[in-house]
Amino acid sequence: MTYHTLLFILVATAAMTAVMARNLLLSAIMLALVSVGASLILFDFQAPWAAVFELSVCAGLITVLFVSAVSLIRNEEGKVKDLRARFYAMPLVIAIVAVATWFYGIPFFDSLKNCALSGGRNNSLGSILWDIRRFDLLGQVSILAAGVFVINSIFPRRKKQK
Amino acid sequence: MINSFTLDWFFITLIFSAGLYCMLVSRNLLRQFIGLEIMSKSCLLAVISVGSVTGNLALAQALIITMIVIEVVVVAVGLSLLVKNYRLTNSIDIWSLNNLRG
Repeated sequence: MTYHTLLFILVATAAMTAVMARNLLLSAIMLALVSVGASLILFDFQAPWAAVFELSVCAGLITVLFVSAVSLIRNEEGKVKDLRARFYAMPLVIAIVAVATWFYGIPFFDSLKNCALSGGRNNSLGSILWDIRRFDLLGQVSILAAGVFVINSIFPRRKKQK
Repeated sequence: MINSFTLDWFFITLIFSAGLYCMLVSRNLLRQFIGLEIMSKSCLLAVISVGSVTGNLALAQALIITMIVIEVVVVAVGLSLLVKNYRLTNSIDIWSLNNLRG
């Protein structure tokens, strides 16, 4: 079993633990572990830029956001009546999905690889997207600005009462 | 013998189904976001896997960076809405989000 497959197993296990954990803080930390595993996979794919982004933003910033949200709603955590049996049934559901994917998905993924290879040769869209990336960056900045404005409008500054 | 691409996609399917299951069964808003994040991670891995197979790693990385930026904004706005909703209704149950009912 290769290092690559082991990383995928780590990510899948961490994702399942994040879903099944009763404690929300543990879920958030397991989500960070999923991000760390994903960034290691990206490094393994020789994609260091995306890996560094993933590690710094997803494993760092998003985890901080989740942990602060958990701390803000701490008292409410246990009050939502989730049916725990559904979460305990998750390994069974995942096992059924795994068996079904093993028998029906793998031939499809093989054909998907051929499609990807034939589509990847005709790379005009890729070159367009990559060459005119300035618009892409503009879109990213607009999305970030929109996010900041939304948060600013949701939490307005409190006015001092006279 | 299964090739690496197919095995990657097998695990990507499992990770995606874990996130989808979390979103389907949970009533907790925060868990819904965790499920969304897990699904987004599986999509990220799918993009890089196809990018690696087709030799378009630069394009795949560009798409992933865009995806991560959008993901951060979605999570930040979503969590801020969650906290605001918690302050207003004192609940994080998705079934309590029915103030706009007709």
